[in-house]
Parts: sequence; C-alpha cells; structure tokens
Amino acid sequence: MGKVLVATDWLAACAGCHMSLLDLDERLVGLLEKIQITSSPITDLKHPPKEGVTVGILTGAVNNTSNEEVARQMRERCQVLIALGDCAVFGGIVTMRNFCSMREALHRAYVECETVVDGKVPASPELSRLLPTALAVNQVVKVDVHLPGCPPSADAIFHVLSELLAGRVPEVKGEYLKYD
Amino acid sequence: MVHITINGQELTVEPGMTVLQAAKQAGIDIPTLCHHPAISDIGACRMCLVEVAKQRALQPACTFPVTEGMEVQTESPKVVAARKFVLQLLFSERNHYCMYCQMSGDCELQALAYRYGLDHWIYDRPFEPMPVDGSRRYFLLDHNRCVLCRRCIRACEEIVANHTLGTRQRGSKTMISADLDVPFGKSTCVSCGTCLQVCPTGAVIDRKSAYRGRVSRGDVQSSKSVCVGCAVGCGVVVVHRAGHIVRIESDWDAEPSRGLLCVTGRFEQLEEVRPRLTKPLVRRNGTLVETDWDAAMEAAVVGFRKARTSGAIATGRATNETFRALARTFALTGTWGKPLPVLGYGKPGTLADLEGADAIVVAGADPAETHRVVAYRIRRALDHGARLFLVDGGGGEYLQPFATLSVPPAEAAKVVEVVADASSPVVIYGAGLQESALKALKALDGKATFIGLPAAANARGAEAEGVKSWNGTSAVDALYVLAGDDPAEPQELPQAGFLVVQSAYRSALTDRADVVLPSPAWAERSGHVTNLEGRTCAFEAAFPAPEGVPAEWQPLATLAERLGKA
Repeated sequence: MGKVLVATDWLAACAGCHMSLLDLDERLVGLLEKIQITSSPITDLKHPPKEGVTVGILTGAVNNTSNEEVARQMRERCQVLIALGDCAVFGGIVTMRNFCSMREALHRAYVECETVVDGKVPASPELSRLLPTALAVNQVVKVDVHLPGCPPSADAIFHVLSELLAGRVPEVKGEYLKYD
Repeated sequence: MVHITINGQELTVEPGMTVLQAAKQAGIDIPTLCHHPAISDIGACRMCLVEVAKQRALQPACTFPVTEGMEVQTESPKVVAARKFVLQLLFSERNHYCMYCQMSGDCELQALAYRYGLDHWIYDRPFEPMPVDGSRRYFLLDHNRCVLCRRCIRACEEIVANHTLGTRQRGSKTMISADLDVPFGKSTCVSCGTCLQVCPTGAVIDRKSAYRGRVSRGDVQSSKSVCVGCAVGCGVVVVHRAGHIVRIESDWDAEPSRGLLCVTGRFEQLEEVRPRLTKPLVRRNGTLVETDWDAAMEAAVVGFRKARTSGAIATGRATNETFRALARTFALTGTWGKPLPVLGYGKPGTLADLEGADAIVVAGADPAETHRVVAYRIRRALDHGARLFLVDGGGGEYLQPFATLSVPPAEAAKVVEVVADASSPVVIYGAGLQESALKALKALDGKATFIGLPAAANARGAEAEGVKSWNGTSAVDALYVLAGDDPAEPQELPQAGFLVVQSAYRSALTDRADVVLPSPAWAERSGHVTNLEGRTCAFEAAFPAPEGVPAEWQPLATLAERLGKA
C-alpha cells in the first residue's frame, strides 16, 4: 500500500499551528513512513497536487479572497479536511477585527500602530481583498475534523492523524480538546 | 420522605428538594452554570436539563422539585443533545474566544464545553461589540464575556443585600446593569467583590489577579485564613503564588461571614506600598543601620533595662499568641483604638442573631465604615422584614435611608419604647455609644442581644490575654510598639525616650525608632484571633515570611527571656 498523501496550508494564521505540527519531533519520522506530505507553506511545493490528496489540513481563519481561494482549492483536492487550530475552527484571534469596522481595523494596524511611522493602508491592486468579516473554515467549506487549540498540542495533532491512519473518525476530547 | 430514581438509582429524599439537590446528595453529577450553592436558583442557563418521566419537556434540575415516584435521567442521549445545543447557543452570542481571556482554564463555561466535547461552533456569531465597564477601581465588567447567568445580580441582592446589579433590555439584548444604568463606578456598589467571586466566566474581572495564574493548572495555591481588617473576622481564602498574594476570596463555609467580605478584606489590603522590612535596624550615631537579630535584641534589652517606666502598645491585628507574649513581657500594655464602653448588662449576641432579628438598634457605631460585613448583614435582615433604629446618627449614609427611626442619644428612650414590642431585637453598639444612650438601652436587657463593634480587630483576643486599650499614660521611659502589618499608624503614642518598633513595613514610625524589628505580614502568620462575637479562629500561614523574619510573638518572647520575665 502506498503512502497516504497529506497536504497542509495556512490561511490567516500566525504559523503557530504549523510549529505545533513540527513539535511532533521524532514522531514525524515514524509518521512519514505512512504518509507523504505533498505540499505545505513551509516546503517548496505550496499547493496540493491536482490529482488530489487523502488528507488536507488548513490552519488560520478565512480573512481575505486569497484565503477563500486556498480553502476552496484544498477542499476540492482532499477527501478529509482538518481544520486545525482555533482560527481555522472558530475564527480565533483573527475575528478580533469583526468587532470593529474594517476601516478601523486597517487604520489601527497600518497607521495608529505604535511602531509605525508615516503609515498608510496598503491599497495595491495585486493584494487580495479582505472579506467583510473573518470566518472560520467551516463557514466557507465543509470541514470533516475540527481540532481546536491555540495551537493544538503536538499530542492532539498526532492523535488525530493516527486515528485517521487507523481508519477511524478522530474524536477530539479530554486532554486533546483545548481552546487556548 | 419522597422516593425517586435517578439514572435507575433508588433514592429516598426530603420533600421540597430540587432534583439537583437530590442528585448532589447521592453523588450524581449534573452540570450547572447559573446555579451557585450560595444563592437561589432561577433555571436561567438550561445546562442542568434532565429527562423526567411523564414530563412533556426536559426540566431544569436546579428548580424542579422532587415528587413521589419521579424517574429522572441525567445523561440520556436526549439530555446530552439538549445540553450540547444549549452550549452552542451560549457560544453563539458575544465573545467567547478563550485564547485571550484571563479566565481560560478556570472558566465554568469553558469546562462545560470541554465536558461535552464542543469541538466547533454551528451557529454564526453576531460579533456585536459590547462595552467594557472599567469605571471601578478593583474590578471591571466585560459584557462581551457575559452569559447572563445572573449570578452577580443574585449575589448582590441575596448575599450582600446591596441591590446594585440588575438587568436592562430583554432577550438577546439583555445587559447586566448597575442601578438605573449608570457606569458601575458611579453606582451604589460597595466594592465587596461578591459578584467577582461568583462570576462563572470572565465577565467580572479582578484587575489585580487577571493573568496571574490559574487555579486549575496549579499555578496558584489556596489557603484558608481569617481576615483581620476588622473585628468581624471573616473567613477568607488567600490565593497566592510564590510568596505573594494574588487575590483574596471569601470562604463560603466559614463563620461568621459565610461568603461575605468587604472592600478592605478583599482588595484594600493588597494595596500595601510601604517598603518591606526584613532585617533588624538599630540607631547608631543618629541613623538606623542594619544589624543582626542578636545585636538588635541586645540593644532593646539594654534600653528597657535602663528605663524606670516602660510599656507596650500593639496593633489590634496581632494574634492571641502575640498578646500573651506582650502581657508577659510588659506590665503596662495596650492596643491602639478607642475602647468599647462597658455596658454592664445585656446578653452578648452573635452575628447570626441578625438573621432572625425583627428589630435592629445601631447605637454609637457606623458599621458601614468600620465593620462592613455587619452592615451587609443588617441590610439583609431588613430585606427579611426587620426594622432599623439608629441612635446618635449611627449607621451613616449606608443605613440612614432605611431607618424606621433615627434619634440623638438623649432620646434613645424613644427607640427603646418602639423596640419593646419586638420579639427578637439586636443592639449593635460601638465606641461612640454615649452615656445617656447606654443607660436608656438597659431597658432592653433580657430582651435583646448586644453586639459590640470594637475598633481593634482582635480586641477580644487582646482582652482575654490581659491587654486592653492603652490606659492613657502619656509618657514612659521606654516604649515597645508592635505595629505589625497594620496599614494605619497609631495616632497618639505616649512620649518615650527609647522606642522599639516591630513592624512589617518601613514607616514614619519606624524611622523615629531606636530599634526596629521586622514582623511578618498578615498572610505569613499562624495563630488565633478572637472576633467580636468571642469566636476564636485558628489560622495557618498561607506562605512563609521572608527569610530572617520570625513569628510575630518571637521577638517578645526573646525580650521576656532576656529581661528575666519568661
């Protein structure tokens, strides 16, 4: 039997969830005997292959048109989609902007920010556009497995992947279920 | 008795009990959120829903009474599905993102979501920003975290009888509101912090202890103690970390306070800013210099040996053990603070008497200023129908508006006349009790119980060890002042040529001493104190004093030994 293909990507994320994935440490070596990571934001190949993968992992909230496209592509190309981390599952810290207007949020980040001098809100046509509100992944595409946590522990990630490899639907509870 | 079954387990319980109480008694766990054992139940949150046979709908266990033959299921699939649905609804409003909440780990809403495996949300969130009311000094109210369980409202009403908190608007627009919707800081709130203690989420936030460690993770430890802010002697739980107090909570199980605490006990004593003393000091060539304990004690011994007259004055916060050592070492002793007048009559009462009182007389005392928990208990009694009588303007602004009659001391007889028809009156008196009122109130002897409010926190303990209020001697050759950790400095001290001060903190008083001896702070002491009811409470140190600081009584015992008085 060939290896199970796994693709990961991040949306509006801080990279912490991928750091937690790397925190699997030596368990990654064992995992890689059973899975093949086709693409990830921290490897050269960024996009899941057209032929598709078995498991897709998304971290981060859906915050702009680019995030939306990445989420939809991942959904189309994977059989099982995991929303990994609070931002992917609930919208997380990214939704802080939902409590104020987009203008206020952009102004705070690019102009009023304490470390900014003569700042201005970027307006290049090359940039993707912000969505009206930041969204959880399951508000944009169907999600099969939710693994909250900010970030989820390496143990929780290992549990979910191991369960999937064993052909079971992972249940995230007990020590694996954390919201922070 | 009533026979019921819960999850197939046959139980015989008291009639009138709720399903929740019956389950708790049998050790069956039903999850709750708006329920709190110290306040009445209102069935607001629907977390405790259970399946009751022959009932059309699921019922809240916290308000549903048991009946003969009742069959209850507490974790059936239908119940679990309903609870998960309730949780989804609770998370669908306001801001319940745990990762930037100071209650994460100790939050009851979060614990319930973990318990029922809530791994994602099914409803869209409105993201409507709610105000954060930061107008109070010690705690703030973040409406974004509120689940409208109304625990704070019920605590304010039923425990403290202050009636500050309520709700405004309706349905999903409901908001916790202070008075008639004024900023919390401009309301009638008395900063007792009971709402803070009962809040299950991060909606009422303690400014000082936020983000300073979680109970669930073992970052902070909890130790029971007794507050010495005044003579009520409230039971408290000191939450501490690495030798520092993180916050103080009231102890629900401790007499006489049972969950009550005031701004002094909960917050003010954490405001100490004076520098801590950890090494003894002696005056050499006019300046205080650090020295070791042996040299400091020797300097004190020399000073007291030379003196023809000597005495000791102590803070009322000292322990019974310290007062015993003080009385053994010095012939002339006293505490600071005005003494209570001696009635010479009257059965001493306990604060529990206020619960069943139908008339309460406050004479020469302002409990709302000096013994706040007594004032809260008076207000609670008024809620239950008691009448309040004030003699000589006692009671202050807090109690005045509720008085049936308020008279000057000379007219105390008028109060006695009205109270004569009461069946269980209580008289509360303080150091301000005038002679005329004292005489007039004698008419209530045999009918009322009398509760004195002494100025010194451990006045009763001091008295039992033979230490009374200072007798007024205006000058001694040598004086020992035990200031301990008292936030107040003694107002008038007798003149003394030689001054030894035992204090936890550097102050104007220690600056003029000849010998300064470090003393442990409140939470670092063990021993006993006797409250205004005469109840002696033992307490243990929450954490040890800084290295080199001995027990409060230790320097006195050493002094007695070296002076040959042991």
